[in-house]
Formats: sequence, C-alpha cells, structure tokens
Amino acid sequence: MIKTVNIEKTYVKGSVSTHVLRGITLSIDQGEYVAIMGTSGTGKTTLMNILGCLDKPTSGKLELDGVDVYKLNDDALSALRNKKFGFVFQQFFLLERTTALDNVLLPFIYADRYPADAIELAKKSLASVGLEYRIEYLASELSGGQQQRVAIARALINDPDVILADEPTGNLDSRSTDEILEIFSRLHKEGRTMVVVTHDQAVARYAQRILELKDGQVRESSVANPQK
Amino acid sequence: MKLTKTITLSFKILTAHRLRTSLCISSMAVGVAAVIVMVSMGRGAQKRIMDMIHNMGTNLIVVNAGHVTLVGGREKQSAIVTTLRTGDADAIMDHCASVEEVAPETSRKMNVRWESENLMTNIIGVTPAAFRIRNIEIEMGRNFDSVENDTAGRAAIVGSVIVEKLFNGEDPVGHQIRIGLAPFEVVGVMKARGVDANGVDRDDRILIPLNTAIRRLMRITYVQKIHIQVASSRQLQRAEAEIRQLLRERHRLRDKPDDFTIQNQATLIQTERESARTLTLLVGSVAALSLLVGGIGILAVMLTACRERRKEIGLRRAVGARRRDIRTQFLLESLIIAGLGGLFGAALGVFSTFLASALGGWTVIESWDAIGVGLMLSTVVGLVFGIFPASKASALEPIEALRAE
Repeated sequence: MIKTVNIEKTYVKGSVSTHVLRGITLSIDQGEYVAIMGTSGTGKTTLMNILGCLDKPTSGKLELDGVDVYKLNDDALSALRNKKFGFVFQQFFLLERTTALDNVLLPFIYADRYPADAIELAKKSLASVGLEYRIEYLASELSGGQQQRVAIARALINDPDVILADEPTGNLDSRSTDEILEIFSRLHKEGRTMVVVTHDQAVARYAQRILELKDGQVRESSVANPQK
Repeated sequence: MKLTKTITLSFKILTAHRLRTSLCISSMAVGVAAVIVMVSMGRGAQKRIMDMIHNMGTNLIVVNAGHVTLVGGREKQSAIVTTLRTGDADAIMDHCASVEEVAPETSRKMNVRWESENLMTNIIGVTPAAFRIRNIEIEMGRNFDSVENDTAGRAAIVGSVIVEKLFNGEDPVGHQIRIGLAPFEVVGVMKARGVDANGVDRDDRILIPLNTAIRRLMRITYVQKIHIQVASSRQLQRAEAEIRQLLRERHRLRDKPDDFTIQNQATLIQTERESARTLTLLVGSVAALSLLVGGIGILAVMLTACRERRKEIGLRRAVGARRRDIRTQFLLESLIIAGLGGLFGAALGVFSTFLASALGGWTVIESWDAIGVGLMLSTVVGLVFGIFPASKASALEPIEALRAE
C-alpha cells in the first residue's frame, strides 16, 4: 500500500549540503506493523514525514495504493493526511488550552463532512484509549502518557488506514510506554497498518518487521519478528 | 470546512490569549468610537446649517446699511448709516423682477415696562412680510397686519424670553406695556427660535410694526436692514447685482464706495459649510488615524500569533487542514477582534457623543448609520490588516511549522 522508489532528501544550508536519505526504496503492505529504526540523525523522522506527506523528498517517488502522490496538488495532500493517516508525534502536539474532546474532534473540522454524531465518536475514541474519564480536561492538565493517548484518539477519529508514529514513547516513562505499545498492538490486530519510528529496541520489538536506516540507506533488520 | 466549528475554535483561541485580545479589541474600539463621534458631529453641523437656513428664510439676500464686517465669525455693524430708507425697499420690490418679497427692519435697544417690572431688550420694527420671509411663527395670540403697519398701530409681539423675564411666565396677550414712554398692547407671542449664528438670542426681543418704530418710537427716517426673498436660489447672484446697481443709483454714489452691504444667503451658507467641513475633516483624520492604529494592533497581534502558533498551524495541516482553512481561521480571528472592537467602539462612541453634546455644547446627532459606518469600517480594517498575517500563516509548509521551536 505504501511504496517508495529511490527517495532522496538533501538539506542545503549555505554551501553545505547534507544528504540525509540516499535512495530509499521500500514497500509496506496493508496491515503490516513496521518499525523504522536507526540512531539519531539517520533521517528516521525525515522518512516518516515523507511517508505521511508532511514533507517532500528532493527526488524519488511515493505511491499510496498505486497513486503517485507527487502528482497531487496541495489540497489533495491535505485530504490524504486527513483521511488516510493518523499521526502520533513525540511531542504529542495537542492544542494546550483546549479540552481532550476538542483535540480529538480537530480532524473532523477538516474532513469532507462534519459527522452529526461527532461528539459520540470522539468520546468512543477517547474510551478506546482508556480516557473516558478525562474528556473535559484541558490538554495541559493531563500527564504525558494521557496526552499521548489523546493524540492517539485524535489519530484514530477519522478511521485512517495507517498510523504513523514518530518516537511515540520518547517522552514517556516505562509504564506509559507499555500502555501506548499495548494500544498499538491492539490497533494492529484490528487491521491497521502501523509505522513506528523509534531508536528503542523495546519499542521496535512489537513490530513484525524492522527497517534499519543507516547512512541514508534502508535495510531489513535481522531482528524482525514475524510471528507478532 | 465547517464554518461554525471554525468560528467556535477561533473564539476559544482568542479567549486563551485574553490580555492580548482585549488590548487589541480596545484599540479597535477607540477607532470605531472616533468614527461614530465624527459622523455624529458632521451630522450636527449639517443640522446647524439646515436650522440656519430655516430660521433665516430661504433664498434670502440681506442688505445692511453701512459696512458689516465679520469679527470672529460674527457680524459687526459699524457706525449708524442713515441712507437706507423704506423707499429703497419699495424700489427693490418694484424694479427687480426676481425679487418676491422685501422686509425692511430697524432695531434699537430700549427699556420695556410692565407693571413694576422693567428690562432692556431689542425692539425690532418689521413689516408683516418679515414673518413669511424669516419663518417667524406665532405661538399665542396673533400677528399684526399691514393695516396696523400703515397706521403705525401700537401692537407688540414678544419673544419667549420676554414672557419669562417681564411677565414671569404669565400669558402676556392683551397686557399693556410701555416701550420707552409709549404704551403698546401685547397681541402675540413668538415661537421660541433659540440663538442665531451670530450668538444673538432671537427670543429676547419684541417685534412692532416698522412704521410705528420709525415714526412714533425712534423718530428716524431710515432702516438698518432689508431682507429680500428671491424666487429661486439660482437667481440669488443676479438679484444681488440688480439690487446693488439700483441702490447705488438711488443713493447717487457714482464713484463712491457702497454705503450698504449685501449678503447673499448662498455665500453665508457656503462659509458655514466650509467651517463645518473643516471640523469634519479634522475629526475625520483623527478617526482615521485611530482606526489605523487599531488595524496595526491587529496586524501585530496576528503576526505574533502566526509566529507563536507555528506548531499549531503545523498540527492542523497534519490532520488535514488545507492552506485556505488556515487562512480562513486567521482571518476569522482578525474579524472577531475587529468585530468585537466595533461593538465596544459603538457603545463607547454613543457615550462620547452624548458627552460631547452634554458637556461641550456641540450640536451632535446620534444616528444608527453612524454606528453602521463604524461597524463596517472596523470589519474592513479587520479584513485588510488580517489578510497579510493570514496568508503568511497559510504559506507555512506543514513540516516547517511542526519543526518550529
């Protein structure tokens, strides 16, 4: 469902160019749980942003369900992010002085149609991550783990095919990390495609397949976990 | 995009930045209030001019004996000139085709007595035509007619100030008064007219027939003024020229300067209009400046917001907001600030207008369209100064926005 062909990304700063990605070709199938690993600075986040249509590569091709993404205009890319992807970021990115419920409702505002039962759906989504008792709390009143779960509820609200998570547990303690990873496993079992960027072996262990980024290249890791 | 949801969201964001929002709203409010005061003052000036025309009479030319100079915007008649006669008035009526009516008048300050009360007031000798030309209305009693004028009858019509001061508010009609030493009967009371453009109280006077004034009371042969009504305003200039020529011939002036002054109502009103316009322009530029300050306030707040809220913009783009959704949201926020500023400004403007009329003695007219203009301008300012930050915010690439610190 996700296919990249020879993706390259070069950052130019002054006269110095940094080649972060040097020809990434990979494919991720529907329903797979993939971890993208690598030490910091290897371009994991850059790759994830490109996969999620948040960033564009210097060259290369990205296909989603057979559609060449870079032939779409900006509005179509927005629609794609709205429907197809659910993002989970390391820094959560919640609207701070806004309730958990309103945060979860955000993607609906930009959807084609604002569902009549939006609030019910948002409450259900919050319940699915165990936050049914924190609906009216402001984001800033929640703990880190709770904030990340709100972010997951938000990512799920439009029923996306793919969850893209960038170091989702990077700012969390081990208990919260376990909770988040449990939720991810459940989402995977429900049939969603999971792409998790991490430097943490413990997080990657939940995935079926691990892609290792090194020197701007990607390779299948030996520690894949197909039985998961 | 769901507009109502976006509006709700904009409100939530604005309330989250309470101090900044309210400062911005108040600067906007001051601008709008200034606009409302300006429009109300402009209307007040307009009304003053309309009143002036009404009380003066329409299509009027005034001939004064001697020279009339404007001192501090007020008329001042120099020396006593005795060459203007009632015969001049009759000649103007007979020889100038465009003239419809003439009303010569003369006045003098004299002592007036009723029972044990007495006071000094202006005694004005007028012909019945003056009532028509100058829109003088009778409140109680009656007017005097041309027979009473011709026979120099002893009839007096008093102003409301005289009723208050001399008669202590009693109905004066039918009472005998003495003007100087001569007895008169009060036959009527004028409707109150207020103060004229020269600062003279038009209710502090007594009108008597012109012939009575000239022959019995003042024993003079001349008049001080002739009010002349012309058929239409288009003929004012021509009539003025005709009158000047006629008077110069009658007064045998040859190469001497005029011994009279002709004022044409059109010129008088023009002068008044110009001073009204100067005032409106002055207040207008202050209002425009305040609105500009309000607009720049919005610009500053929204640009700061655009910078501070880059992460939020990035997140919105990540969950599916299109560029125009971001633009709409930022523009809505500017419009909400401007709109609220407009509403508060309207209230403030109405209040200041009220203060200006109560304390400053300005003639001001509150009107709904002044409020309308204020609100409309605030919306325009909100739009104009909101567009730049809004497009700046929408131009951010999602990833740049998310990465911002």
